[in-house]
Amino acid sequence: MKKVLAILLAGMMTATAFAGCGGGSSSSTDSNADSKTESKADDASKGDDGSKAEADMDPSWADESLFGGETDITLKVWAPDKAVSLTKEQVEAFKKHYSNIKFKSIEVVAQGESDAATQIMNDPEKAADVFGFPSDQLDKLIATKVLSPVAQGFVNTIKANNAQKTIDAVTEGDKLYAFPETNDNGYYLVYDNTVVTDEDAKTLEGVLAACKAKNKQFILDSGNGFYSCMFAFTGGALIDGFEADGVTQKFVEYNEDEVIDTLMAFAKLMKDYKNTYSSQDTANISSSFKNGKAGAGVDGTWNSQADKDALGDKFGAAKLPTINVGGTDKQIISMFGYKYIGVNSYTKFPRSAQILAYYLTGEEAQTQRAQKLGWGPSNTKAQEAVKDDPIIQAVSAQSENAVAQVKIAGTFWTPMGTLGSELYKDSWKPEDRNATKTLFDKIISNVKDE
Amino acid sequence: MKLFKSYKFRRILLNTIIYIILGIMCIIWVSPFIYLMLHSFRADGGVVTNDAVLPHRFTFQHYIELFAPSTDTSLNFPRWFMNTFVVACFSCVISTISVLAVSYAFSRLRFGIRKKLMNIAMILGMFPGFMTMIAIYYLLKIMGLDGNLIALVLCYSCGAGLGFQISKGFFDTIPRALDEAATIDGATKNQIFWKIILPMSKPIVVYTILTAFIGPWTDFILAKIIMGDKHDNYTVAIGLQMMKDPDHMTQWFQEFLAGSVVVAIPITLLFLKMQKYYVEGVTAGGVKG
Repeated sequence: MKKVLAILLAGMMTATAFAGCGGGSSSSTDSNADSKTESKADDASKGDDGSKAEADMDPSWADESLFGGETDITLKVWAPDKAVSLTKEQVEAFKKHYSNIKFKSIEVVAQGESDAATQIMNDPEKAADVFGFPSDQLDKLIATKVLSPVAQGFVNTIKANNAQKTIDAVTEGDKLYAFPETNDNGYYLVYDNTVVTDEDAKTLEGVLAACKAKNKQFILDSGNGFYSCMFAFTGGALIDGFEADGVTQKFVEYNEDEVIDTLMAFAKLMKDYKNTYSSQDTANISSSFKNGKAGAGVDGTWNSQADKDALGDKFGAAKLPTINVGGTDKQIISMFGYKYIGVNSYTKFPRSAQILAYYLTGEEAQTQRAQKLGWGPSNTKAQEAVKDDPIIQAVSAQSENAVAQVKIAGTFWTPMGTLGSELYKDSWKPEDRNATKTLFDKIISNVKDE
Repeated sequence: MKLFKSYKFRRILLNTIIYIILGIMCIIWVSPFIYLMLHSFRADGGVVTNDAVLPHRFTFQHYIELFAPSTDTSLNFPRWFMNTFVVACFSCVISTISVLAVSYAFSRLRFGIRKKLMNIAMILGMFPGFMTMIAIYYLLKIMGLDGNLIALVLCYSCGAGLGFQISKGFFDTIPRALDEAATIDGATKNQIFWKIILPMSKPIVVYTILTAFIGPWTDFILAKIIMGDKHDNYTVAIGLQMMKDPDHMTQWFQEFLAGSVVVAIPITLLFLKMQKYYVEGVTAGGVKG
């Protein structure tokens, strides 16, 4: 008995040892290949200097000769779960179009965009060659050099075809670091149009009054810095990238009295509509619509489908409302991001990866995503194609009144969340100007990490 | 006043207070589990809203959805469940044997570097596990084992021998006279281990099996690092976490609750089964050998 066991165990050990050896040799060849492709990646990003005329190019399709002789192409694409099947279709179309190029496999793997950067940096060599990510991860990805800049041949076409803001956010120096994919990564006002009329939806006071009249809640996640930064932004305390040191958050010149007035106006509304204004996680909004508890809420585009399902015909969407501060209606300013498709600089097929990313962010692909998934396009022509969609309208209207979610310091979110949750507290006195000023000063110094 | 002097009354009063305190603690402790169970059966979908503590209508739908998703998704719970089960079984067998063997060696055999080895094991045990995780990942990558279930079995079972202290402590309490008697009868060290020590150590064997089996079900960080984006080789811990990331949260929240309940089943079954031997082992150990 024990002899059998001993043999078994010993066998297992050797088996794993062999498994190890086998794998070892193959991965060492991999790393050889790596060092070769490094130089190729440089070729693709530098060498192509407009050599292939982009002038007469069909905007969605790149010239076949750009593949530069890459063959047996193996690529991995990361897309969020909901987009996987559409991306697979698009990849098939891509392969079909370039029928002269030999593809071995293009794999589409589900990977949430919210932690794409973390996953890439865990091990760039094993990560996807082409991946989607939101704008707030840009500086991390650029700093760690895992993002391969857009090949020069594509730059002009992309600049010409996409919304200016999405281009600005991804340009650093003279380089474009990723392909703009969407212009919709933000939040907007969702409402039940039997509770809140389109007219009510224009002002925050109107929304709250309408909800109160029907005894429903208005949900805004006030303790979460992503949403509650709107209180400071609306008052004029906007952020503007980093200070010269590259880590401290920089604010534009703002009038402190105006900010305090705005904060007090928000706090007053929270108090006046105490049982209506409710601070909850946005994940609760769709279920609250479903069980009839909520009349309106500020929700992100990623929850649009759930909200639509919950409300059905009653679904209403608009840009964020205005708030009355000392007699004037001020538009609420929000945080707003974009999504990009990036190319991993460790990819073994840099040219093919660039071309695939280019196609996946082209007009055709963006239009398909907008129609099937409701993702707001960054491509101006694709925007035309879906301009009647109420959500895309609401989102693009809000994007005009928003701060781009790029170059945000790590110290930004928590203090901003505290700002919201302090104002929302039962014990907070909205008319106490000094307390508001003290709170705001503390928040700003915490954001600047002083 | 007489009332308070009555022994019976004081006893009832004291017991009532104690039971109330214990009752409250019990409710606090058990309520998350009840909440989890109830809401995994809740009919009106979505994430919980603050004011619905108890669901009104019930359905089995979420469990069905968990094992046979109606939408196109990369979440594959049945596969993850089997992965975890297989990994748990293998690492349970290997690590139980290695822990017990190491403990026996340290408890019964006397060799030159015994003390030193024990000290080294102790020091290695002081390093928190996640410190070495990145190193483990890159080593596995060199061996071509990243994203592979064998890697998980290796990680969970190969270092297990270092956790010998508890079972060594138990073996130390078994009288050496038994070993000596067996040796006089002609038994080898190996025979003593299998025929004398092991049958007398059921409680500690069961304890080792349980901890080794539960490990793979609860480990998240290491498994996530090793698996990366290989969804087919995920274990339930990574899978469940994936269900509540921003991408899936609104749709999959209740399936996540249902999944958590399902994960508890194999562990509970094993525990119930082992419980019998556990008690048996304790009483057997109490009888004079």
